Amino acid sequence: MEHTAHREAPEPRDDMTESAVRFEGISKFFPGVQALSDVTLEVASGSCHALCGENGAGKSTLGKILSGIYMPDGGRLFVHGREVHFDSPRDALAAGVGMVHQELAFCDNLSVAENLCLGALPSRRGLVVRDEMERRARTMLAEIDPALDVRRRVGELTIAQQQLVQIAAAVGSGARIIVFDEPTSSLSHHEAERLFELIGRLKQRGVTCIYVSHRMPEVFSLCDTVTVLRDGRHVDTRPTAQITEADIVRMMIGRPLAEYFPTHDSSARGEEVLRAERLTSAGRFEDVSFALRAGEVVGLAGLQGAGRSEVAGALFGLEHLESGSIYVRGVRARIDDAGDAIRYGIGLVPEDRKRQGLVLSETALHNTSLPTLRRFSRLSWIFRAEERRATTVLFDRLRVRTSSLDAPVAGLSGGNQQKVVLAKWLAARPSVLILDEPTRGVDVGAKAEIHALIGELAKNGTAILVISSELPELLTLSDGILVLREGRLVGELSRAEASQEGLLRLMAGLT
Amino acid sequence: MRAFARRIVSSQETGLVLVLVLLTITLAALAGSHPDRETGATINNFWNSHTLIQTATDASFFAIMAIGATVVIISGGIDLSVGSIYALAGVTMALVLRSLGPMSDASTTLAGLAVAVGVGLLCGLLNGVLVVGLRVHPFIVTLGTMWMLRGVAFVATKAESILVPSALTAVTKAPLGLGGGLYPVPMISMVVLTVIGAVYLSRTVMGRHIFAFGGSIEASRFSGLALNRIQIGVYAVSGLTAGFAAFLGASFYGSSSSGDAQGYELYVIASAVVGGASLIGGKGSALGATLGALLIVLIRQSIRTLHLDQNYEWIVIGCAIIVAVVIDQWSTRLTARRLSRATT
Repeated sequence: MEHTAHREAPEPRDDMTESAVRFEGISKFFPGVQALSDVTLEVASGSCHALCGENGAGKSTLGKILSGIYMPDGGRLFVHGREVHFDSPRDALAAGVGMVHQELAFCDNLSVAENLCLGALPSRRGLVVRDEMERRARTMLAEIDPALDVRRRVGELTIAQQQLVQIAAAVGSGARIIVFDEPTSSLSHHEAERLFELIGRLKQRGVTCIYVSHRMPEVFSLCDTVTVLRDGRHVDTRPTAQITEADIVRMMIGRPLAEYFPTHDSSARGEEVLRAERLTSAGRFEDVSFALRAGEVVGLAGLQGAGRSEVAGALFGLEHLESGSIYVRGVRARIDDAGDAIRYGIGLVPEDRKRQGLVLSETALHNTSLPTLRRFSRLSWIFRAEERRATTVLFDRLRVRTSSLDAPVAGLSGGNQQKVVLAKWLAARPSVLILDEPTRGVDVGAKAEIHALIGELAKNGTAILVISSELPELLTLSDGILVLREGRLVGELSRAEASQEGLLRLMAGLT
Repeated sequence: MRAFARRIVSSQETGLVLVLVLLTITLAALAGSHPDRETGATINNFWNSHTLIQTATDASFFAIMAIGATVVIISGGIDLSVGSIYALAGVTMALVLRSLGPMSDASTTLAGLAVAVGVGLLCGLLNGVLVVGLRVHPFIVTLGTMWMLRGVAFVATKAESILVPSALTAVTKAPLGLGGGLYPVPMISMVVLTVIGAVYLSRTVMGRHIFAFGGSIEASRFSGLALNRIQIGVYAVSGLTAGFAAFLGASFYGSSSSGDAQGYELYVIASAVVGGASLIGGKGSALGATLGALLIVLIRQSIRTLHLDQNYEWIVIGCAIIVAVVIDQWSTRLTARRLSRATT
């Protein structure tokens, strides 16, 4: 722990024993982002405490600090009144803090029993005692799901069952505090009901629950207290009885729009470039139809898991379409892979820059020219001087230092990496550009530049589809906003009609 | 000029060249000498044209295949079947030439070259199509074809050794004006193929795509590359080099049998890896592969030159491979650290 990072903090007070958890001035940096700054809050023992906020507000990060997955860069953490320093989830579990993850963390190839006992397999002379292991696992599951066969492989279970096993792992190892990180994001309605029942029972046993979610109905039916975070800062903590949904939504947004940059003039819209008709891919999205015009910026809003990236992937040939069709300039397009999409003049700046956007082992120059190499080559021979000249022009335009042309992109900052991905697609001169979270993990300066670039591209007649979890970003950039919820298009708003509150309500399904 | 010098010093292969030079100097210093039978002049037991060209000839067959293997390894794959492709290409060439009967020297040679390279290419394509079509890991696919192809060669020849027409031997053993029992053709072929391989990897769209594919399949997919074509292509290249090596080898030694090049796949992969190719993919070079093959053959040679117990050959080579790769990883990490300091 970095003691130097501590600010002056009072000694624990006597009434601290009342609180199960106390965060004191907690801060956390990730490269390019301040995920949490100076968050102080208390969670009462035996309560169910909601952490709310937009995507990227820092709520999951806070939960992960409590459960030992991340270490804070500053501040102190108290559990049952005692200051703790968790270096790993194991430490946290030893102190009675467990976590139920959004992305499940199990060995899929092992049985339920093996997973549950993985930390301490019962053994005799180096051999695992199977009966004893299964007995222990059954005891752990007794209260939560006695019907579950502990010999089944975890990979065969449904997500809901896997979550139950996670909860069993946490409760069974004696956790008195359990963090639930958006537990219902991948559950059906029925499965979610069972989870709520279980949380109710845990509460009766005096277990403290910390519930990370932005789904309002769940927060109000389950939780006693709610804390709202925004941009990594603590906004307010109130009993749920003294607050309304509208209050929470307002606190979650609360950011003056003025800090964003005005964009292009939307009057210069041209002809229709791309039309999607009734796109359907079972379990991902259904019956999605929309159109993009030249020079228009359309935003695509939705909660995580609403199917935004999947729809984008379908336009780019990465997602299998069961039915529906895509028309480019009025002609039906056959798009089976990204190569086809590129030939139709479609570009995609993907969500996961490091995995999908860039080949990290290659240089910035080679990454930029990757989809457009044919332009600089004849009979497979690359004209390197031409390649370098064209890339230099792009880098100048995007204000990336050209000295980084030959550097492996792995060493560049998040903002510069994102600019390399943008350069890659600018080089392709697409008539439709899809941007999936174009400013995630990018510093403020680069963000403004990227926004300006989007406006400029639209002005020059590119049709743009922007996906973003940051509503203010969508609102400033877009001429119109499409809203997806659970794979369905639930709203289509013009710039004039759209407000953060309205969008958030549509996204979350509030009436 | 300074930038050029810096590029030379920081390049991946400089370390290998250094090791090769040091090993050569050490061997020359320790080898001792003998008087020439005719002229009576003192001749170093290692540093003489005969031993040097012999060493390079030994290395050339591995090196040529190692260039192909490097292409596969850069793509993140592996090809265990090159030794068997060599054997099958060699015996097919010998059988076809035997059944064609006498022709002019030139047409015999060209027919032989076409058959060996063609068979190699087909076997490589088979590997590639199996890897792509069955979605099975290339280790398994090429482990299977390794046995299958050698089995085909075995059955086709009924386990006999087949003679190769002397016209081919005349080409691969052409003295090219050197005389004195020196045969530089395999060595020259090695150099030429290294240059072709280096150009292929660094200057062509195909080469660039192979690096991208090996670095990140996902990012390559998002960039619209034809992934299947790239993957089939690398195994085709590997088969092609094995076929060419078979043409050289079978012609050079004058015969071919289904037992040829047994175990070569491991020497070949070792050469590629010692030459800096990363089994994770995304990294490697043709020059590195050739230098790696030279290093392994030189280590083997040093045991003979220094009159060490030949029984220790495998132990020494095994250790050398691990040491070479560990040193390579250290230097890569150091370079990465230097780079990250330079950019921040």
